[in-house]
Amino acid sequence: MTDRPLGPRPYRRSDFGRAASRVLYVQSLFTAERQQGPGFAFALVPFARRLFTSAEDRGRMLRRHLGFFGTHPLLAGYVLGIVARLEERRAHGEAIAEERIEQVKRAVASPLAALGDPLFWVTLRPLAGLVGIFGLLFIPMAEGEGPDLRVLICPLLALLTYNAVALPHRFVGVARGYAAADEPGRLLRSLHLAEWKLVLERASAFAFGGLVMLTLAALKPSVAGGTAYAATVFAPLGVSALLAVLVLERRPGRGVEIALLAVALALMLPVRG
Amino acid sequence: MLGQPLVGACLAGALLNPGPQWELWVLRIPLGVGALLQLLLTEPSLPAAQRPRDAATAGVVGASTAILALERLHPSVPVSTGGLLWVVLGTVAGLVSATIGGWMELGLRSRNLEGARRMESLAQEGRIGRMESTFWGGIARIMLRGASWSVAASVGGLAAASLVLPRAAHYLTGPRTGLLFAVLLGVALAAGYRTHVRASRRGLWWAGLGALTCFILLLRLGGSVP
Repeated sequence: MTDRPLGPRPYRRSDFGRAASRVLYVQSLFTAERQQGPGFAFALVPFARRLFTSAEDRGRMLRRHLGFFGTHPLLAGYVLGIVARLEERRAHGEAIAEERIEQVKRAVASPLAALGDPLFWVTLRPLAGLVGIFGLLFIPMAEGEGPDLRVLICPLLALLTYNAVALPHRFVGVARGYAAADEPGRLLRSLHLAEWKLVLERASAFAFGGLVMLTLAALKPSVAGGTAYAATVFAPLGVSALLAVLVLERRPGRGVEIALLAVALALMLPVRG
Repeated sequence: MLGQPLVGACLAGALLNPGPQWELWVLRIPLGVGALLQLLLTEPSLPAAQRPRDAATAGVVGASTAILALERLHPSVPVSTGGLLWVVLGTVAGLVSATIGGWMELGLRSRNLEGARRMESLAQEGRIGRMESTFWGGIARIMLRGASWSVAASVGGLAAASLVLPRAAHYLTGPRTGLLFAVLLGVALAAGYRTHVRASRRGLWWAGLGALTCFILLLRLGGSVP
């Protein structure tokens, strides 16, 4: 039995817009078993509505996509576009098996996850936060009267940095995936995700070096407060940083526990004054 | 991206208003809390390999706890280090909230599993509208959980601070607060090093270049930073 409808209608531009807006929620209802499957099916609804007139046919198509699906959420639009194209051709009577669509879906989703996760989660998101913190140290604070605009500028810097790279993928992903459905390999290469990662990785390390220098410069006035006062700032800063680096090397991902433990230990230390 | 601790903390700072006399601190403390939490809660490993942490609400909880505690407890906790004590308090509150919130997220996933199964049965029956409603319901559940957890954890943090800080006021001197802040900053920089430098190829070289560039810029600009 095939999903062949009486008369599939061609997609409209608005369908791509709706699907792209729904991809924003692809990570909702995330589970270990299906990962982004429910979100993927939800984003496909505008296409299913256009292709099929009967609720049963729409349901049958969507049910196939409710299973396991995992990729980087920012890049899910590309897979969605490719699947929309294949489903359209199938609805028009081309001999495309359900398994073939599933194969293509997984074949594209896996490399997008492998390239997207290190780029967006590991590199871009921390970098965006770092740029926000940079604003804190670079923008002069309000003196006396008047609001401290850094409270708005710093998060805005972080949001702009992240979205300058991420948002184009959100917007054009579905349409580009649809257009490149026959050449997914070329599509993957054209995204230059590995190259982006290299550049952002270096920018991230560069910015962190600058942040350390700015932090030390910001703490410099405490030196004027006397050697003893400087010692209560620079010595614990250096010692805790060094110890935390060593512990994190052995126990990665334990930053929160280390920070709480360090505070507890610092509370126990005898301090004069 | 709204889930970044820095963004959440600054938004909470901009929205909470305990009175005009606190305006300057209410805007500065969230920046400190947000920056520290941003460095501490950003991990270089892939999400699947990370410990469950609710970094999205940590910034909001940290900043809210700090601001509310500042307004209510400042008469009983007189310290000479400006807002430093409240930054430390907010950061600790944010870290605890991120840990507990992370455990709660695991419970949310089992609810998600039920939602996904329900979507499947609705799709089988061809009830696409209901299927969409189930999905929207899942999104609403996530948002409601985040909002209610932010409020509950902030109130909890304030209650804990109200219990502990007045009793420990004599202990929390200026130098001790400075020490606590320095220690937290040190661990935050270490976490940042792992994320930004250690995880990248030739990271140390690029970090050195960044530090040198900043050093030269500071010398050219007269060595003043805000």
